[in-house]
Amino acid sequence: MRIHRLDALSIDELYALADKTGLDLPPGLERPFVVEEILEALEEDSEDRRAAQGEAVHIDEKKYSGLRIGDFDLDLDRGESLALRYNETMIRAIARDPSWAFAYWDVADSELEMLRGDDTSAGIFLRVSEIGATGESGDSQREYFDIPVADNDYQWYINLPRPGIRFRIDLCARRGGQAGKFRILARSGEIESPRQGFSASVQDLDPASFELLVLSGVEDLPLDDSSEGNPLRILPSGPARSGNRAD
Amino acid sequence: MKTAYLALVLNAHMPFVRRPEHPHFLEERWFFEAVSETYLPLLRVFRSLEADAVPFHLTLSVSPTLASMLGDKLLCGRYADYLDSQLRLAAAEEDRIGRDPVFGPLARMYRALYSADKDDFQGLYGGDIVSALDFYYKKGRVELVTSGATHAFLPIFRDCREAVTSQVETAIIAHRKIFGKHPAGFWLPQMGWYPGIGEVLRSYNVQYTVVTTRGAMLGEPTPRYGSFAPVECPSGLVVFIRDAGATKAVWSESTGYPADPVYRDFYRDIGFDLPADYVKAYLQDTDERIFTGFKYWAVTGRTEEKRPYYPAVAAVRAVRHAASFLAERKASASAASGLMDRPPLMVCPFDAELFGHWWFEGPAFLEALFRQAASDDELAVSTLGDYLRDFPPAQKSVPEFSSWGDGGFAEVWLDGSNDWIYRHVAKAIERMSELAERFPDESGLRERILDQAAREVLLAMCSDWALLMRAGKSAGFARRQIEEPIANFGRIYDMLCSNTVSTEWLTRLEKRNNLFPSINYRMFRRKR
Repeated sequence: MRIHRLDALSIDELYALADKTGLDLPPGLERPFVVEEILEALEEDSEDRRAAQGEAVHIDEKKYSGLRIGDFDLDLDRGESLALRYNETMIRAIARDPSWAFAYWDVADSELEMLRGDDTSAGIFLRVSEIGATGESGDSQREYFDIPVADNDYQWYINLPRPGIRFRIDLCARRGGQAGKFRILARSGEIESPRQGFSASVQDLDPASFELLVLSGVEDLPLDDSSEGNPLRILPSGPARSGNRAD
Repeated sequence: MKTAYLALVLNAHMPFVRRPEHPHFLEERWFFEAVSETYLPLLRVFRSLEADAVPFHLTLSVSPTLASMLGDKLLCGRYADYLDSQLRLAAAEEDRIGRDPVFGPLARMYRALYSADKDDFQGLYGGDIVSALDFYYKKGRVELVTSGATHAFLPIFRDCREAVTSQVETAIIAHRKIFGKHPAGFWLPQMGWYPGIGEVLRSYNVQYTVVTTRGAMLGEPTPRYGSFAPVECPSGLVVFIRDAGATKAVWSESTGYPADPVYRDFYRDIGFDLPADYVKAYLQDTDERIFTGFKYWAVTGRTEEKRPYYPAVAAVRAVRHAASFLAERKASASAASGLMDRPPLMVCPFDAELFGHWWFEGPAFLEALFRQAASDDELAVSTLGDYLRDFPPAQKSVPEFSSWGDGGFAEVWLDGSNDWIYRHVAKAIERMSELAERFPDESGLRERILDQAAREVLLAMCSDWALLMRAGKSAGFARRQIEEPIANFGRIYDMLCSNTVSTEWLTRLEKRNNLFPSINYRMFRRKR
């Protein structure tokens, strides 16, 4: 399923994602090669995570493995008995993990007709706005980026710029070309991209607490490797604390 | 004086599958297998420990859907039929291989196991496993807690408070009705935590829950005792933290105890090894090749050339693994205790069905663990509630969004294979809230139909179906398990909007999806 999501990204976005995934790709690679490299890296990452902490779900699956072992039904699209949409103007966003949010939306046919009118350049786009850090209150739009979407798009996985941030997504319509006016058709609720590393408070811990974190197995957890987020990087030097990491 | 505490937490859960319109329904076997291979064996462990006056303490989450199925007459009757069918297969196996010096004893072992299941279920418990669990609950041996009504993955619904509260409220009401006590703890389905769920749980007087190691360690602020002590959220909810080492020792499919070469192999089953015509006669009207539960081979290793299974050897290994598990936990506690001002606690949460269904020797491991721990001077095995009474949390912290799924967030329940679900489920929740607002004080037929609408919405929120779609296993069935309640709800919504009710259809639906008899559709009213 990942390949569909990657196909939806521009080459610049693919390079940005490759960079985020830890890949150092030479510039000018053809798109299929970039996608292939990212898929491979994601697969390895997934295997690592699976080994580290995904076992519960694999065991969980076995509750249901008593039968229909061969029933690998990959045609998992929306069921035939359910409508694709409800012909309403709305957008909802769900934070999936530190890097991705899932958004689905709809524009009522009447609204779309009114928007289009005789303006062939009119179109729909998503505006993803950062409104603050996780844990902060208030709603002050800081940075945003726009994603143009087609009339027949109804959902999208959105790559979030960074973890630990509150976002909202506006479903917008623009008339009169790129320089034209836009209006917000619908607004999602606020979503938070979860932290991938430790909170800043980790730096206030005493050495005994750092020892307890290590004993708790933090070295084996898939965490953000940034120095801010990894207490092992800011521990007082000591072989027991820093020995197992290759950084 | 004990210097360390160990808390075993088992999550017993099966999604609601009940099809009275079919004389036999294949997916109901999931429940039958869990009863035979996990729940009854666990009760035998409890009985054995009680008989020898071995103290044991365990926290056990019984999900509302499982509790509902365990108390359902139709399913219990079908389970009795399943046992008869298994016993006929056991007899046939004894005829086939009874004289074989290696496999004959295994055929007899299965007959003994299914006979014991029948004696326990029908004789000892009178078909009432819920009461059997309640016996140990009231005795204080097992602390029963509840979970989301239909095991919804709550972080996905965090933007809709009615969706989350409906899962919590229904679960608590069902628990109180079945067990006569308010549950102190709440098992978060899939360990799905998000900042804010603490307030919801506390508002229903839940005292504690459990989160993953990572979710807690990434919390704000970072827990200063690591995973060795619970933390308290600002709402007052106590959050226990999963012990990563204990988890790995048991969960890991590659290096965990269940992967030991002498244990019984899960995959090699006569349902696939023997001619289809032979096993079909014992599989209750299915033409498919499926697991029968009769497995004669040991894990052996990563090879197709399996060695025969020797239960006596495996039993010895289970006792040794229990000793090893305890020794490792004690070593970990010993290292931690000097760094803390309280005895360290190690919380070991597992799916109950791991023990027995997946890991055949799991119940024997648990029994050995309790027996060995009972004579240990340093380590005490405790329920979460008992530990909390003795050692209230010393630090406030809010865990980060987390789950025990692959990736640690929502990837399992929200990806290209299953994301279509949420548009429809969210719409149904929104419309259910609209109905509850429009009809706040109904009675009679209209109340019945609104209550059934609420049941259908809850059923559509079940996270197990999303998991199966992602795994690609029984995915078509899983998809229908979402589509049907959504369609049922849609029909009810249309009926109420047009003021026409098909009572025959409603009655049929009530009889089929009969869980949560005390449901109150008004819980979907918008929280102000």
